[in-house]
Amino acid sequence: MEKNILTSSRTGDQCIHVKHSSGLDVYICEMKGFSSVEALFGTKYGSINTRFRTSGDADYTEVPEGIAHFLEHKLFENEDCDVFELYAKTGANANAFTSFDKTCYLFSCSKNYQDSLKILLDFVQKPYFTKESVNKEQGIIGQEIQMTNDNPEWRVFFNLLRCLYHNHPVKIDIAGTIESIAQIDADLLYKCYNTFYNLNNMVLAIAGNISADEVLEICDQCLKPCEDKGLESVFPDEPSEIVQPEIRETQPVGTPIFNIGYKCAPCSGRERLKKSMAASVAAGIITDASSDMYQRLLNSGIINSTFGAEVFCGDGYFSVIFSGESASPEKVRDALAEEMEKISRGGLEEKDFQRIKKSTYGILIRELNNVESVANLMINAHMDGVKPYDAIEILSELTSSDCTSFIRDELSADKLAMSVVEGAVQ
Amino acid sequence: MKYNRTELGDNIGFSAIIDDKFKTNSLLIRFITGLDSKNAADNAVGIGILTNSSSEYKTLAQLNEKLSSLYGASLSSGARKRGDIQVLHVSSSWINNKYAIDGEDITSEMLGIICGCIFSPNASEGSFDNESFRIVQKELIDKIEAEINNKRGYALSRAAEFAFSGEPAENSCYGTKETAGKVTAQSAYQAYKNILENAQVEIFYVAPEENPAVEQRLKNEFSAISRSHSSVKFYAPSKIKEEALRISEEFDVRQSKMVLVFKTESDDCHAIRLLSTIFGETPVSKLFMNVREKMSLCYYCASRVLFAKGSLSVDCGVERDNIEKAEKEILHQLDEIRSGNFSDEELSSALMSIDNTLTAVGDTPSSYSSWYFERFCENNIVTPEQQFEAYKAVTRERIINAAKSLSLDTVYLMLNKEVQN
Repeated sequence: MEKNILTSSRTGDQCIHVKHSSGLDVYICEMKGFSSVEALFGTKYGSINTRFRTSGDADYTEVPEGIAHFLEHKLFENEDCDVFELYAKTGANANAFTSFDKTCYLFSCSKNYQDSLKILLDFVQKPYFTKESVNKEQGIIGQEIQMTNDNPEWRVFFNLLRCLYHNHPVKIDIAGTIESIAQIDADLLYKCYNTFYNLNNMVLAIAGNISADEVLEICDQCLKPCEDKGLESVFPDEPSEIVQPEIRETQPVGTPIFNIGYKCAPCSGRERLKKSMAASVAAGIITDASSDMYQRLLNSGIINSTFGAEVFCGDGYFSVIFSGESASPEKVRDALAEEMEKISRGGLEEKDFQRIKKSTYGILIRELNNVESVANLMINAHMDGVKPYDAIEILSELTSSDCTSFIRDELSADKLAMSVVEGAVQ
Repeated sequence: MKYNRTELGDNIGFSAIIDDKFKTNSLLIRFITGLDSKNAADNAVGIGILTNSSSEYKTLAQLNEKLSSLYGASLSSGARKRGDIQVLHVSSSWINNKYAIDGEDITSEMLGIICGCIFSPNASEGSFDNESFRIVQKELIDKIEAEINNKRGYALSRAAEFAFSGEPAENSCYGTKETAGKVTAQSAYQAYKNILENAQVEIFYVAPEENPAVEQRLKNEFSAISRSHSSVKFYAPSKIKEEALRISEEFDVRQSKMVLVFKTESDDCHAIRLLSTIFGETPVSKLFMNVREKMSLCYYCASRVLFAKGSLSVDCGVERDNIEKAEKEILHQLDEIRSGNFSDEELSSALMSIDNTLTAVGDTPSSYSSWYFERFCENNIVTPEQQFEAYKAVTRERIINAAKSLSLDTVYLMLNKEVQN
């Protein structure tokens, strides 16, 4: 197996990439001076992968909403014990998460990382589902769903996605609904497991106080070679238009909270990273506390310091979302639409662009200062089809006209939707 | 790593933590004062204005423009509660000079900005600048109102209000909406002056290399202030109620929340922490394995220790119909520990979990400053390794005694309105 050393020309940071003979992509970052270790073992399988087939299947399989997340919960039960009991013997702090496009199992520790890594690689490759254990999990996940339904930030975000996307499964809740998870059984879980938990569709990222040779030795011991089954996930056609311009929900909250999103054209790989970097810097200039718009809205009491923006993108979806708290969110929306028009006509100020570019560079450097963020950086980059240090390189090539073009081409008023969660009128 | 704490003046500690693995420099200045409902909001506004503008950078826009040109250096301030005390802070972090593309001396610039914000604020004639004041006051009121957005956090805060009723810890570190609304630019300035002159100060500088200029500059700035010696009580165990108080409130929520607050007169902090780890702090704890995994009643059911108040709380999100069942099981699991029904494996896994957490101290700048701040509060400056030795010395008997010492003091319920009978 060849060890490819990946280096950041800007910072000198390095990590190793190995395509393991089992089919697994392995990323390792030895971080001198750090005590802890963060490891993530992930599959490209998230809530959006609801329709798929492998080369052996005649037809596509459609699965209930929330099944990737359900599978994540269930994998923690082995045939003979609970996986947490195994980790309890090493002292590692173990967890897992399911997002839109991935499921990751992770641990962090500062001692016995070798034993914890063996547990991680072993249990994820050993599914064990029964009718009883599936039924039991429905109660726990049901409570998780209720908890997130009471979370206004979660609700305002998913309501916005339902305003932006007609068909793409990004609009469905990651955990599904009480009704959809009731349709899940052991057979369906095995079907999803055998499709997506193929090592050719998976990646291991590990960073911190480790030795690359030791990690690879453990990989050799624990990984079972997998045949690439030609997995294909498909998504329904998604119109470029939004579904509806506005949605409101009532919940106990303080100042109403809002998400204002622009639906943009999706793309993938390096092109997506470049576009998301342009979008991120553009949104950073608009929401910067020094900008005229920010100052105007802040001074008139329309926004507070929670105002910000994020780029939200993945397979088949790309949007820029502005969020915050406001008693008049429609004024924020109008101000944003006006600002985009102004920039589309006159472009961005070069000095503002250079300042926010520098600031973004600072954020990327900080990411390299932390074991957990380095491990996440490696796994996210791989899942997105790029290399870990590509973001810094792409940022250095970014120009203000890239950002202006992004705003002009993508952030038009007809692609704008607003979601608000507000308290009940007394 | 090199740790060194010196006194810059009366009640002012400066800790330099030098670790060459970091790519950033961080400076954290903590002002420690008694938590008092009368001035909590004034203090929170007073500290908030310091990072909104200064005499040099007259507006947030100007200050922010400068910070983003320094590679997005962060500068923030805030308040938090630790038992009966209010901890106010000004915090900043920036990338180390060696990563500056244009060769700037970011550290010198940031030191100037931070000192300008703290010692030369945007104020005149005994009052903060009105525009900055107005923005920060609104921020505080919005923050207080937004506490309900996080239902779990809100339930814990309400439980603390009832559990610590009549004690400083019953108050929020932000004050109330009413007291925040009454703060003026003058009262906030007065609060700021009071903090600068009377609060205990603990400063933490975490960087890859030493820089004596940081300590010297702060020493000079503080020496110009006439300071009085006042001290706060970091440990103030709460009075145990004779009978557990039960409070329930209705909200328009889908999931009910339950918080059980226990109190103890025991000062065996290591045994209590180990007890809590076994009881409800890990995925193999008694609460996780039984209330969640076996009975499927909750997604989360966890315990935490607030040693400064001699309390331990358990909180969970649960269907209203299952509240009684969950409470019974939580109490049963505590009884199990009281009876010594926990295995050697449970004890050793709790110890290992603590060991892993302690060994990771130092992997982030904030973990260093939190560690040494907490040890300062406990008046026991030890390394994580020394602390772990104290945990290893805890016997089963001490854990059982710690569990027996807990009395149920307060039960707070946030009830789902829709399923009310």
